[in-house]
Amino acid sequence: MHIPDGYLSPETCGVFGAAMVPVWTTAGRRVRKIVKNRYVPLVALGAAYSFLVMMFNVPIPDGTTAHAVGAVLIAVLLGPWAAVVAVSIALLIQALFFGDGGVLALGANTFNMAFVMPMVGYGVYRTLSRNVSLTSPRRPIAAGMGAYVGLNAAAFCSAVELGLQPALFHSANGTPLYSPFHLAQSIPAMAFAHLTVAGGVEFALTAGVVAYLQRANLPLLRINHRAVPDTDAELAPPNRPPWRWALVGLATLVVLTPVGLRAPGGAFGEDALSDLPLHKYHLDAVPTGLRHYAGFWHNALFNGYGFDNGSHPTIGYLVSALVGIAVIGAVVFAGFTVVRRVRRGHDVDDDFETAPT
Amino acid sequence: MTVSDADMPTADDALLIVEGASYSYLDRFPALDDVSMSVQSGEKVALLGANGCGKSTLLKVLAGLLFPDRGRYTAFAAHVTEDGLEDAQFARGFRSRVGVVFQNSEAQVFSPTVREEIAFGPLNMGLERDEIAERVDDSLAMLDILDLADRAPYQLSGGQKKRVAIASVLVMNPDVLLLDEPTATLDARTQDWLIDLLVELNAAGKTIVLATHDLNTLDRLADRCIVFSEDHRVATDGPTHRVLRDQDLLAAVNLVRAGSRSPRLAAGWPLPS
Amino acid sequence: MSATSTTPKWLLQHEVGLCPCACIGKRRKGGVIEKTTSGAAALLRQTLFSEDVAGERGLLQRLDPRVKVLSLLGLLVVTADLRHIPVLLGMYAGTLALAAASKLRLSFFVKRVWLFIPVFTGVVVLPATLNVVTHGDIVVPLGTWFGHHLGLTEQGLRSAGLVVTRVATSISLVVLLTISTPWAKLLAALRALRAPRLLILVLGMAYRYLFLLLNAVTDMYVARRARTVAGATDATSGRLLVAASAGALFGKAQTLAEEVHLAMVARGYAGDARSVTAFRMRLLDAAFVLACVAAAVAAVGVDRLLGR
Repeated sequence: MHIPDGYLSPETCGVFGAAMVPVWTTAGRRVRKIVKNRYVPLVALGAAYSFLVMMFNVPIPDGTTAHAVGAVLIAVLLGPWAAVVAVSIALLIQALFFGDGGVLALGANTFNMAFVMPMVGYGVYRTLSRNVSLTSPRRPIAAGMGAYVGLNAAAFCSAVELGLQPALFHSANGTPLYSPFHLAQSIPAMAFAHLTVAGGVEFALTAGVVAYLQRANLPLLRINHRAVPDTDAELAPPNRPPWRWALVGLATLVVLTPVGLRAPGGAFGEDALSDLPLHKYHLDAVPTGLRHYAGFWHNALFNGYGFDNGSHPTIGYLVSALVGIAVIGAVVFAGFTVVRRVRRGHDVDDDFETAPT
Repeated sequence: MTVSDADMPTADDALLIVEGASYSYLDRFPALDDVSMSVQSGEKVALLGANGCGKSTLLKVLAGLLFPDRGRYTAFAAHVTEDGLEDAQFARGFRSRVGVVFQNSEAQVFSPTVREEIAFGPLNMGLERDEIAERVDDSLAMLDILDLADRAPYQLSGGQKKRVAIASVLVMNPDVLLLDEPTATLDARTQDWLIDLLVELNAAGKTIVLATHDLNTLDRLADRCIVFSEDHRVATDGPTHRVLRDQDLLAAVNLVRAGSRSPRLAAGWPLPS
Repeated sequence: MSATSTTPKWLLQHEVGLCPCACIGKRRKGGVIEKTTSGAAALLRQTLFSEDVAGERGLLQRLDPRVKVLSLLGLLVVTADLRHIPVLLGMYAGTLALAAASKLRLSFFVKRVWLFIPVFTGVVVLPATLNVVTHGDIVVPLGTWFGHHLGLTEQGLRSAGLVVTRVATSISLVVLLTISTPWAKLLAALRALRAPRLLILVLGMAYRYLFLLLNAVTDMYVARRARTVAGATDATSGRLLVAASAGALFGKAQTLAEEVHLAMVARGYAGDARSVTAFRMRLLDAAFVLACVAAAVAAVGVDRLLGR
């Protein structure tokens, strides 16, 4: 999922870099608030840990790699904001030293793996582990599910980022300037790789580690679950939604989208590219294993292109970006709403930032 | 609990005073149980005990890193509390006067280079850059590690790391040096070097408190021993030579094997009379 | 692209077993262990080696790290904006020249960069040359498939070339920066460039932990291997092993993290990262910046001349 430099246009990189600034600021503030006690080394540790987990890549022929990230595990252990910082730093080290993921693409990569993933995943985890004791067997499952959903949300985001490139940035004769795969190709490929392979790895890793800690190192789990009883019991006051800032981040992204609009040119020969029937015609040639997914996503998202006429590439970009973000937003909102409805005055987990210091 | 008069140290010139301190990790694993002790200025004191007896915990209490659940700790005639150390002024004074050398040098050296590592304390103390540079160079020279100055600490050997750790503490010129198992994991020559250094520092007026279960080096490293029992209490407190002769006690607290005189003790190093 | 017509799921999962951390597939644990340990060892060697290069007295090593960071970052942005393969090749040649001027063995440098451009970057862009993915003018017909024309398009080939050259140039620039700068100086430069203190602090510590964790991983797997007879263990036990060692690793490292924090507090740490390093700009730095700007202007100029 590490997008290298060269796959994304500088405009796209700029948009995501800008979108991450408020996220990092908030995360830094949140982490710093409890820094005076003992969390700086723990966050650093999370970064090193995530780095190790991500080091093991499986190449998948769609412009990316599949691997576990560990972001949700860190979110479960140290809180979602610590996970934002930790995974961002892991990605930075990888970009600098191992060329794994680009330096310019850092904004996009961190948006996917260090922001969307821990936030969405932690949301799912909190929802599923509501009113569950610290040692309950449901907790590792909840963490694993969170990791699975989080990873796929991140993969989906990166697929959208990659898939938008050929539509927005191509030369006069239709040569894609950056990642050459369209949404209809990048999304199914990424979804396939992560729904099956990487998602499974992430699930197993996260659930396995949480289960292990339940048996072998409960104090470590308590760091982010101060008010959760060890065995079945009930308590805790209502909590501020930890997604508030996630929503702010997404909103910022929407607002900032036009920054990335640098119209790649006038009326290009887009006909071959955006000709719907031709596209469908070619999709028939896609191997059947992929056809189902491709067709599905193709139909669901093609409206988002919105540039068939070839005359409004900027609007097309905006619309496409909005669609992509809306889907991500929907995921977050869904989790958020569910949690809120179910919680209603009862919250078992104590959030990271409210932990007594 | 043996709490004496509110703000008065028990002994007139005692530098560090712990009174009736109890501490439990995570509120369920006891580490200290009603411990009282004091350290005079210029003393060499050893905290003796088997693994897990609480001596490292007491060292952390003395260092102002843990705070007893019950009882009180007074250092330099000031009550040391977690809240008190939130005060920048007090914290700066206390931290610069008490230096801690941890058992695990791995944890102690965390900066990107040795030079930065040693400058870490003085920087936090807010010293001037020139003075810091001077002090760092002096410390490097004193511990004979000038050639390591620009290396990364993780590339160093265990003995070199220990030197860096000690330099990083000495650079702050503390009055009191707290050392946790200082000679453990060091080879023989490095051990000798370290013992000589500590004796020299003590002669220069530094107060030294060390936690150890290595009885071999005690005759040189400590004037007085405070022995911990395995139930986290003080078993005895007295001059080193007397403590070391009490084989029954040492066996009872699991420092030597019961029923057998320790061969190392029997080997006949000179007992001060 | 990634799947053929009726591949059963189990077969795909077997592929995944190639990932050392997966253990989902039907793999012998020996492979997992070998991969993990050798991967860790290789990583360590690589990073340690880069400090050796940073110790040489070449052009880049003599520059103020701040200048180096900003210049190379600028060139990175320019590279991302270029749209013609010849211009990108020119930039790539420039990075080779810089490497040579910095006393890097070219074979080593090229190998290191192309090792990073994961082999699959090539694999990834290959399908993009097909008309199925990139529509356009077929220049290399490959016959028909299910009655449809199949072939490589000019647009597809050019796009693939663009991506590969751009990725190579970008990675070369980043490698030049990190290989010629000791980690500590790089951190100090970032700090001097007003990167947030928390970032620098965590970054520095994370880098350190990485080495400790890698050592711990290696130790744990070696210990485990010593206790394992042959390789005939089932996937479940492999998975448990990975989860357990991952958990144990975190616990172990957490203890260390707490100790580090206490050591920091004991020396007066109160949440601020401070540094002794002071940088000075020299004539060489100014010349280098000028050269970079000139190169950037030239590249962008030529790129525009060739058309957008």
